[in-house]
Order: sequence, then structure tokens, then C-alpha cells
Amino acid sequence: MFLEQLSGNLVQGVVLGAVYGMATMGLSLIFGVLKVVNVGHGAFVMVGAFVALFFFNTLGLNPIFAIPAAFAVGIALGLAFYYTAIRKLLHAPELATLLATFSVGVLLEETIKMIFGSEFRGYNWDVGKIDLVFTALPMSKILAALGSVFIAVLLYVWFKRTRAGSAMRSVVEDSQGARVCGINVDGVYAMSFALGIGLTVASGVLLTMFIPVGINPYMGGGYTLKAFVIAVLGGLSSPYGAFFGGLVFGLIENTSYTMFALIPGVEPFALTRFLSFLILLIILLIRPTGIIKAK
Amino acid sequence: MKSFSLKPFVFLIVCLFFFLPASAFAAPPDEIVIGHPACLSGKYAKAGEQAVGGIEACIHWVNSQYGGVTLDGKKVPLAYKKYDCESKKENVTSLIGRLITVDQVDVVFAPYSSGLTLRGAPVAEGHSMLYMDHGGANNKIFEQGFQYTVQTIGPATSYHKGTLDMVKKIAPDAEKVALAYEDSEFATMVMEGAKTHAEELGFEVVFERTYPKGVTDMTPLLSAMKATDPDFVLGGGHFEDGQLFNRQMSDLNIDVDCLSLIAAATLPAFYEALGNMAEGVMGPSHWEYGVTYSQKAAKERRIRWIGPSQDEFVSLFKEAVGDQDMVPDYHAAEAGAQVLAYVLAAEKAGSVDSGKVRAALGDLEFMSFYGTWDISDSGLQVGHSMVDVQWQGGERVIVWPESAQTGKPCYPMPTFDQKAEGKKALP
Repeated sequence: MFLEQLSGNLVQGVVLGAVYGMATMGLSLIFGVLKVVNVGHGAFVMVGAFVALFFFNTLGLNPIFAIPAAFAVGIALGLAFYYTAIRKLLHAPELATLLATFSVGVLLEETIKMIFGSEFRGYNWDVGKIDLVFTALPMSKILAALGSVFIAVLLYVWFKRTRAGSAMRSVVEDSQGARVCGINVDGVYAMSFALGIGLTVASGVLLTMFIPVGINPYMGGGYTLKAFVIAVLGGLSSPYGAFFGGLVFGLIENTSYTMFALIPGVEPFALTRFLSFLILLIILLIRPTGIIKAK
Repeated sequence: MKSFSLKPFVFLIVCLFFFLPASAFAAPPDEIVIGHPACLSGKYAKAGEQAVGGIEACIHWVNSQYGGVTLDGKKVPLAYKKYDCESKKENVTSLIGRLITVDQVDVVFAPYSSGLTLRGAPVAEGHSMLYMDHGGANNKIFEQGFQYTVQTIGPATSYHKGTLDMVKKIAPDAEKVALAYEDSEFATMVMEGAKTHAEELGFEVVFERTYPKGVTDMTPLLSAMKATDPDFVLGGGHFEDGQLFNRQMSDLNIDVDCLSLIAAATLPAFYEALGNMAEGVMGPSHWEYGVTYSQKAAKERRIRWIGPSQDEFVSLFKEAVGDQDMVPDYHAAEAGAQVLAYVLAAEKAGSVDSGKVRAALGDLEFMSFYGTWDISDSGLQVGHSMVDVQWQGGERVIVWPESAQTGKPCYPMPTFDQKAEGKKALP
């Protein structure tokens, strides 16, 4: 029975972890290039969730079609946010960008609330399940995980094989040097920020494919918290590290529950959270740049 | 001859004037102001919106049809002063202070939820202000020795009594119950009551675990619960986790004969989010449209009736929220009924003084569209009975108690695979 539960939770953990990883890549990308901590991260995830909801409930379209749409919405939001606020605050004290991203997060929450209301919503996309004997896995979750892996690979190829990706890497390496070589550093900053927000909003769609309920304007807070743990776990400025960090986090969250459940008299869920933050603290103490170094 | 002096009498009268409370000489006010740190945004916005609609509907009824609150022969209208507490504890305390000291309200209505209600109670108590609880069901609020806090919503420990009684009666073979609930003051108290009653009825509690607030994935907990093979499950906490609970039970193919979720399952948004997957799911409710409380029922029980009829309340609520499609749920009804309780108590006390109204509330028993109202010495609601509703064919049907039924329960409910194929939970 124990092994059956553990196996089931391992599988669920990997699937969930892939989506968590994807949901954190944008945060790490923005920090890696611009050194801006986006504390409004969860609000952008929430925007993606509402894009999925709108596509499914209003347009009657498959949430997979909402992924590119959410990405486009994120790019537009990212560019608007960058040119109106972040650009002016890049050289200001760190607190200024923290407050700016926090404010935009609140602004997005309240705007979505005005448009859609504060109810907890959801959609019901049923594409069947796979019975793995020790657990059942809905196809929508598998598609969400595959979508996350696909986007992560696409981002990797884009970074490695395109001129824009090379420009971005060179700015991360040495922004002054990149500027001397004729790279439009400001343009790279704008592109990185927009790409980071685009990925984050798109991840909101993937998260709803995993959990298509509880969609509301204030749903992002929990994801912001998890994204910070995952980002630190994977290397704060490495998007790929964030993806692998997500996988590790998903596994920790799911499998540690089964382990803690063996201890009599304890609530395993409380301990899984404790463990997550304990790991975060230990990593910050022994390796503040995260497990995977940014490249 | 010794002269008679008036000086001692004058002195006595002056002393009395200074030492008697101001309210002893006060003429009835021009209006009675209800203060409310309402949850208009944040995680309890949905319940908060309902509560405000219910309060405004009943205030409108009191002012326009009842004629106001009768104090010393004068009809005094009710007024309503609310602020948005954003569903945050820190805002509740400051807003209650503001309502009492700056706005000088006559009574404070607590915000929604046990946690927020409990946070605000000491502030109201510190100002000797009557604090009326319409959305905090946790019994512990009334174990703190507060003198000015009274409850309209029923106590948390009674939420699942009806569900358990129903299962015991219609499925005598059912043995194993699983309890999985949010780690919150409210849900913990609900499940304490459920566990005690389940054991009294001879059920075996095969699983009991909590999950944290704001949980986004319950898979590990539900997988562990599945392994215990329960006959029925009692769970939930608030709206968001209730949806997640049902969804992930379906994802993991956890089929049980009965699933009852607190707070979430009784809301239309629950079915809208889950569709057919919500068929057969039950939830305890303080009030549902269709309950049989009426002036006639009050007369039969020889208790006083006050307030609009059920249909009048629905109409007044829709007018108050400015949305003809919005239907009041129990959050609206209990908040509205609280206005009526205050009106009767203030009239009985002949004053708006918090101490006097509180004493009058202690002696009050009445019926309204919400049901009966009666409190214990500690302020805990003991007069109100709950109902159990079940989603059947996309409609909420009152299935328990039998005396309030608008339909028979569907037990066992269809499996999740059957529901995925479109099967409805029809008895």
C-alpha cells in the first residue's frame, strides 16, 4: 500500500513539477537579465488562468489554443510594464522595482476582479484519464506537463540558436561589453522582460490544465511563494535551472507527504511546507546562487 | 425653628445627573447606524457581497415596510455604514475601531468567517460595543468570555450532524467515514463536531487529515484517503478548496457513496466550475430557497415572526445588489436575519445602548425567513437548524432533514466515470 501510494505520488509529482518549473522560468529569466525580482509574478499567472477560462467558457475553445494567446497577452503586458515603469527604475534602489512589481500585481488583480468578479471559477475540460494501476492521471495533466517541457525546450533552442538569444546571453554575461559590441541593451532588457512575462502568463494556462478550478483574481499569491522557492532551488537567474527546480519541488511536495504520513500524530501537509522552506533556507545559506549556476 | 434646606437635594440631583449614563436621559436617535467591516474584496468577497446584499435587503424592509425601529414611541430608521476589510485580519481591527470611535455606530456586524470575526471581537469588547456575528461559526468565539458578541449563524459543530443522521437512516450498512478538511479554525471545529457525532452514531472514522489554506494540489492527501476505502467523505473548508477537492477526487477516481463539502458545495459557482462532476455532491447550509419558515409556522410554534417572507427577501436582495440574476444564498440570509434580531432586541430594550440590547438579545426568540433564532448565555446560536442540500440535475435540492425536504436524497451518488458520461444524481 505504501509503495503504491509512493509510486503514485512520484508520478503526480513529476507531472506537477514540470508545470511548476514552467511557471517559474519567467521569474528566473527576468531576474537573470534585469536583476528585477518580480513579486507580482503570481498575478501574471492568474492572468493566464483567466485567458484559459475565457477561451474555454466564452469562446468554447480548447485551452491548448489559449497558450499562444496567453503568451501574446503576456508579451504585450510585459512591454507595456517595462516601458512605463521598469525601464525608469532599473538603476533605482532594489526596493523601487520590488514595490513597482508588487503594485502592478495588485493592479492586475483588481482589474481582473472588476472585469470577471471575485468568484472562484473553473472549467471542465475532460479528455479522459490514464489508469496506471497505482494512480489515475487525467490526460489534461499529461498535456500540461508535455506542454511545459515543449516550451522549456523551445526556450532553450531559442537561447542557444538565435541571434536574439545570443544577445540576451551576452547581456547577462556583461552588459557593458555587449553595449560596446553594438548590442541594443535596452532592447534586450525589454525583450527579456516581455518574454519573461509572456512565459509566466502562458504558464497560467498550463496550471489551469492541471488544476482547472479555483480560478479567481487572488489565486496568484501561493504561486508567487512557490516560484521563489523553485527559483532559488534551481538557480535564481537560470530559466533552465528553474525548470529542473520545479521538477524537484513537485517531487518533494508529493513524495514527502507519503513519507511524513508514516509518522504518527503529525499532519503531513504542514510538514511538506516546512520541508520546502527548510530546503530553501539551507540552499540560501550554503549556496546563495542556487543549485544550478546561471549560464 | 430649624430652616429646611434644599441644598442636599440639589446636590443629590446634580450627582445623579453626572453619574447616570448619558443614555438614561437620551432621546431616541434620529437613526440607528449599523457598522460593518465587510469582505467586499479578497478571498471572502463572494460571501461578503452576499452578506452586504442580505443586510441592505433587510434594512430596506425595516425602513420601508416595518416603519423603522420603535424606541420610546418614535420610529427610528436604520442606516448602514460599511468599509471593505479586504478579507484581512489587520484591517478588521482598525476598521472596527474606526466605526466605533469615528463613525459612532450603534452596533457592529462582524465580517465573514470565523477567523475575521474572532479577530474583531476583542476590539468591540474593549469599547463595550455589541458585536453581531453572522459569518463566524466557530464555537471557540463564544468560549472566550466575550460579553457583547452574539451569533446568528449556527455553531460549526452542528454542520454535519444532519448529513451523518441522513446516512445512518438511509444507508444502515455504511460504516466508514473519512474526514479531510482545511486547517482553519472553522473547518477544524466543524469536523470536531462531525467526528463526535459520527462516533456517537457508530461510524468508524477511517481517515482524518487536514490540508493547509490556499492548497493548490491535494493529490497526496486524497491518494492516502483513497487507500482507506471510505463509504462516505466529509470535507472542505471554504470555496476554493471545495472545488479542488471534488475535482481531484474525480481525477483520482475516488468513488464514494456520499460526498459532503462545507461552504463550497452549496454555491452556484461550485456547479458552474465543475459541471456534471458536481452531481450528487452535498453540503450543509444554514438556509436555502425553499425552506418552509413562514408566519404560519411561527404561529404554530407560538413564537414571534418578523421580517419579509422568503420571496420578498429574494426580491429585496436582488434590488439591493442591483442584479436580478443574483440569487441570495445562506450568507445573505443569515446576515439579513441578524438585522431583524437587532431590531427586535433594540425595541425590547427600548434603547440602542449595547449592554441593554445585548441583554434583550439573550431573552429573544423569534422566527424569520431564515428560521428560528435563539442564543445561549454565551451568545452562541442554539435556535437555528441547518439543512443539507444536494446537486441533482443541476439544481440544489434540500434533502435533509425530512421535514424540510424538497426532494429525496440520491444515495449512493453516481461514480465519477458515470458522471463523466453525463449521468445525473437523480433519486
